[in-house]
Parts: sequence; structure tokens; C-alpha cells
Amino acid sequence: MTTSNRRPLIDVAAASLLLTGFAGALLAPTDRLQGDLQRLMYVHVPSAWLAYLSFAVTLVASVARLRTRRDRWDDLAVSSVEVGVFFTALTLATGSLWGKPVWGVWWTWDPRLVTTALLFLVYLAYLGVRRGIVDPDVRARRSAILGIIAFVQIPIVHMSVVWWRTLHQPPTVLKPGQPSMDTAMLGVLLLNVVAFTATYAALVRRRVDIARAEAAAEDALLSDDSPLAGDAVTAPTHVEVLDV
Amino acid sequence: MRLRSLVVPGVGIAAVLAGTLSFGGLNGSLVYYLTPTEAVAQQADFADERRFRLAGFVTPGSVTGSADAVRFSVTDEATTVDVLHAGAPPQLFQEGIEVVLEGSWRGSTFTSDTMLIKHDEEYYPPEDLPEEPA
Repeated sequence: MTTSNRRPLIDVAAASLLLTGFAGALLAPTDRLQGDLQRLMYVHVPSAWLAYLSFAVTLVASVARLRTRRDRWDDLAVSSVEVGVFFTALTLATGSLWGKPVWGVWWTWDPRLVTTALLFLVYLAYLGVRRGIVDPDVRARRSAILGIIAFVQIPIVHMSVVWWRTLHQPPTVLKPGQPSMDTAMLGVLLLNVVAFTATYAALVRRRVDIARAEAAAEDALLSDDSPLAGDAVTAPTHVEVLDV
Repeated sequence: MRLRSLVVPGVGIAAVLAGTLSFGGLNGSLVYYLTPTEAVAQQADFADERRFRLAGFVTPGSVTGSADAVRFSVTDEATTVDVLHAGAPPQLFQEGIEVVLEGSWRGSTFTSDTMLIKHDEEYYPPEDLPEEPA
């Protein structure tokens, strides 16, 4: 009962922050070169930030799952990956929408773009791998190992624009020194980062509840001693059948 | 069994990375583009209209153009290369902006058919430019 009382609070907080952030994105000053196209940044950058955050949470939850063997950590790890994969896709989509008018292309084989696409595919594979493992304990352990290894991509994605020559611009905010950005724009960007983070919390919370319900259903199924295929399949009673 | 389930995707990813490192990119390397200085130094390697990407800042005062082609030069401060670009340049094309061009050498002119605007990481409204360092 206590959890169901807290849930609307985070949902309402996330929704109102998102609305405020959206209004801020419309009211923020217009960029001198890109004009209104720059406003896509207020979705693109917070989405990329959520990808980093989600997969970092999965890393922590995966380590915790391996050490404590408690299933709630696995619930958190998979929930965070699912939300992270969605926001990685949103990052790629908004980047592409922005790239066409500003760069001149929807896509190019630039190190930042390629590493981000690989990030998306690897975490999609994480979700796929889980579907293929029946035993919940084996599934949780293997996912945890994958959740730890896959995180190596995050520093690579972030530093790709510094380590290699790219078409994608280097970091504006998450870099040493002052952000190279107008103060009002930076304020709106940070507001949207907070709003997206609250949205992440609300979504993961909900997804963890689903994971627990799934686990409970799975437990009920596995603890039941009935044969896996039920009564629909029975052993042949007549040996003669084999001779035909 | 447990090991194999990780090794198979691991080997797959390693193979893709190795392939990209060996054969990736227009330059035959991981380098996304060459600077004008590098392009001039390696001109012999890119003979026979072999394609590569060239990036530099559009030299102020160098832009002349018609409807279907534009001439200008790009610079990295040290070296300047003349460019003939076929087609209409993107909207944000202007003097002083950094561009990435795809094309090849034709004599001492770089002929390009694809132009990308390399946008910088600075965002300011028009009336509120930070002080330019002299």
C-alpha cells in the first residue's frame, strides 16, 4: 500500500517537470547559427544522458546481483536496460533528425554515431539473450556478466568525439572548463536533464513492479510439479507403434 | 556452455571491430577526414581520383559560385586547398564555418560532391556572443 501511494508522486513530478522542460525549450533563446533546430538538443542531450545513467544503474545492479544473489537486483538491471535502450533509440532518432538539416545527412559513419548505434544493438542483444534462458538464476547471472562487460562502451561513446576525428561536435557541458553555451540555454538544458531523470525513475519503478510480477508468475509455474508440456502430451502406450 | 554464450557474441563484436579498423572509412583507415596539410602531404597516395574526406574552415572571401557549383578554399591555418563543389551547398554553408567534403584530387583542386557542415560545440543567441579571444 505504501508503494502504491508513492508511485503517483514520482509520476506527477516527472510529468510536470517534463512539461516545464518542454515550455523552457520553446522559450529558450534561439541559436545564432542553427536557429530553431538547436532546440532538438533539449531532447537529444537528456536522452543521451539517460542512456549513460540507465546502463550505469545496470552495471551497479549487475555487480550487486553477482555478490548478493538477490533477484531484486536482476529486476532493477533489466528494467534499467529496457528504459536505456528506448532512450538510446531516441538519441539516435533526434540526432538523425538534426543531422539532416544541419550537417546535410541523416547518417554518416562517424565514430560517435557508430559507437552509439553499437551501444543500442548490444543492449538490445542483452534483452534478447534473456529471452533465451529459461532458468531464472542462470538468466540473472549471465545477464549480470553481460551488464558489466557492456558498460565498457559508455566511456568509449562519450570520449569518441575526443579520441577520434568526428563530424559530431565534442562535449559542450561534460568537459573540463566552462560550458561553451549561453546561460539561459544551459539552464533549460539542465532543467530537461532533471525532468528526463525523473521520468527515468518513474519508468524504471513501474518496470521493476512488472519484473516482480513476472518472477512471481514464473515461480508459481516452476514450483508446480506438473510436467512441462502439461497433460496434452503423453507417452505412447502401444509399443507396436514403433514397428510401423 | 555458460562460457560459450558469451564467447560467441564477443568474437562477433571483435570481428566487426577488426573489420572496421582494417577496411573502414573512405580513407582506408579509421580517420574520418584529413586536414588540408595532410591531404597535400599525401596527395600522391590519393592519385587516380581516389576518394577521401577533407575538412577545413571555409576561407573568408574565397566563395564564388553559380547555381549548381561553388568554388572556395578550405584552410587549417597552415595550408589552404582550393575546392570545387558540385551541387548546392547546405543551408548553413558560410565563410569561416568548418566543412567536411567528400571527393578527390583533380590536379591541385579538390573536387567534392558531398558537403557536410561540421557544427561546433558552442551555442549562443545572436546578440550574446562571448568575447572572441584575440
